[in-house]
Amino acid sequence: MFAAVRSELTRLRQPRLLVTWFGLMTLFALMINTIMVTFVSGGGSLPPGAPGVVFPTLASMESPSGLMAGLAAASNMFGIVTLSFWAVVTAGDYSSGLIRLLVAAEPRRWRLLAGKIVALVIVTAAATTVASVVNVFAVMPAAGAAGIATAAWGTDLVPVVASAWTNLFLALCAWGVLGLVIATLARSAAVAIAVGIGYVLVFESVIKLLKDVPSDWLLGTTLNAVASGGPATVAYGTALALALGYVTLGLVIAGAVFIRRDVTD
Amino acid sequence: MAVVTTTELTRRFGPVTALDRLTVELPAAGVIGLVGPNGSGKSTLIRILLGLIRPTGGSASVLGSSIGSPAHYASRVGVLVESPAFIPGLSARANLVSLARLRRLPLERVDAVLVQVGLMGRDREPVKRFSLGMKQRLGIAAALLSDPELLILDEPTNGLDPAGIVEIRELLRELGREGRTVIVSSHQLSEIEAVCDHLVVIRFGELVFSGPMTEMMKRTREHIDIAAEHAADTDRLEAALVAGGWAVTVVDDVLRVAAAADRAADLNRAAAAAGVTLSRLVVGQDNLEEIFLEMTGRVDGELANGRAAANGTVA
Repeated sequence: MFAAVRSELTRLRQPRLLVTWFGLMTLFALMINTIMVTFVSGGGSLPPGAPGVVFPTLASMESPSGLMAGLAAASNMFGIVTLSFWAVVTAGDYSSGLIRLLVAAEPRRWRLLAGKIVALVIVTAAATTVASVVNVFAVMPAAGAAGIATAAWGTDLVPVVASAWTNLFLALCAWGVLGLVIATLARSAAVAIAVGIGYVLVFESVIKLLKDVPSDWLLGTTLNAVASGGPATVAYGTALALALGYVTLGLVIAGAVFIRRDVTD
Repeated sequence: MAVVTTTELTRRFGPVTALDRLTVELPAAGVIGLVGPNGSGKSTLIRILLGLIRPTGGSASVLGSSIGSPAHYASRVGVLVESPAFIPGLSARANLVSLARLRRLPLERVDAVLVQVGLMGRDREPVKRFSLGMKQRLGIAAALLSDPELLILDEPTNGLDPAGIVEIRELLRELGREGRTVIVSSHQLSEIEAVCDHLVVIRFGELVFSGPMTEMMKRTREHIDIAAEHAADTDRLEAALVAGGWAVTVVDDVLRVAAAADRAADLNRAAAAAGVTLSRLVVGQDNLEEIFLEMTGRVDGELANGRAAANGTVA
């Protein structure tokens, strides 16, 4: 499988792909911190069905974890970006016809799939790091300008940063697997991205607006709970277990389809 | 020893039978041409041999191993399936490096194949800037990467200019002389005729011919092409020749008469007797294309399969 990982990493070294991926992570980190700080310092609160974004309270912003609050706030946005790139990379093998060469060279298809996942996880770790660094450099001047107290941000700096990074990374990997699963089934990046965005921004928002329907189990909500380290409404362990269940189910489906299906493209 | 053996190999796609109980043995060493009309099952056969799709019935082996375990022979087989497929944003070298890593090959092989196909010097350019011919060369380079015993190349000269075609033809011959087996699927029958030692013809998924090219070419017949000085006399000339027992086919204003060269004078006399002056009399021999069309019935397989599917019958 190591050979498949190295091979996939070589193919992922496409300047345009990486610049776009990391660029969007940077853009969202800058944007969310600016909006979040302005919003929170003004005492605003989002409606319960607000799509894709969860802002902290002022008290939470001024706590040690406030430094990294932007990552959790925008985790679904980062998630959609990650889903999109995993889907583009996966579906690209079909649209380019490269899948024929890959399967002919390595007929043990599970190795190809595992190699792709590991390689994408490695790049996702780099993308998470980019978002984390940009977040830190964006939130400090924004908070200073908005009058948010930042004195506590130096407390437990390493654990706070490490925990925020890890939580976002885990959530993004799950988003990525979702993109890979849809792209494997549809063999189309456009379909995978449309389904992903439609699900988070439309389907989950509608479900959340229905007061009688519990929404804690929804994928976006679950992954947002993982990214934020477990909000008040959902225990972190529960969210993590649920996310793991989603990922396992997705991988079983994608694996079965990828291994069994004819390569006719 | 055979490099590829199929026994009753069958593959159906819905109502269409792409391969119909195909039984064939392809000999080791040399260049083997795989020809057939569009939709005849060539690509399906190649994909089954490579483990890309599974057969509906029958069995097959490649280099002595069953197609049920393609991992046993994948490292000994190089492929170019349909159009060359690469990541356009990556350089030619990076694309080959990624394949070399997947096959656990030393990166020196990348340099070797780049030299072999004449792409050294352009190897650091992104593939998106390559012409179709250069992509084709890169595809062949990818197929040669593992220094394979068996090469399966689908339309290897597609998109190449005449000089490139000659170069690839020489490369294929050389690969065959080196003791490798090269299976070439192509629509360009002149290329097949020029390069191949062995020929396999399939039509509607069934084997029509498998044997040495020399045996196939024994089926060629001499013919004499004639044309009347005045086009208006063509019908009269044809009628006179048919009445005289000659086998005639007309293409445009040229009459092709199935006859040996030593009948040219008789033919000329028959035309004169009909009161027609000939402006052309050329002795020739059928080429592979003509034999092929005769064997396969001048039918486009894809269209025939489409019609069969629409009618609810199996082609």
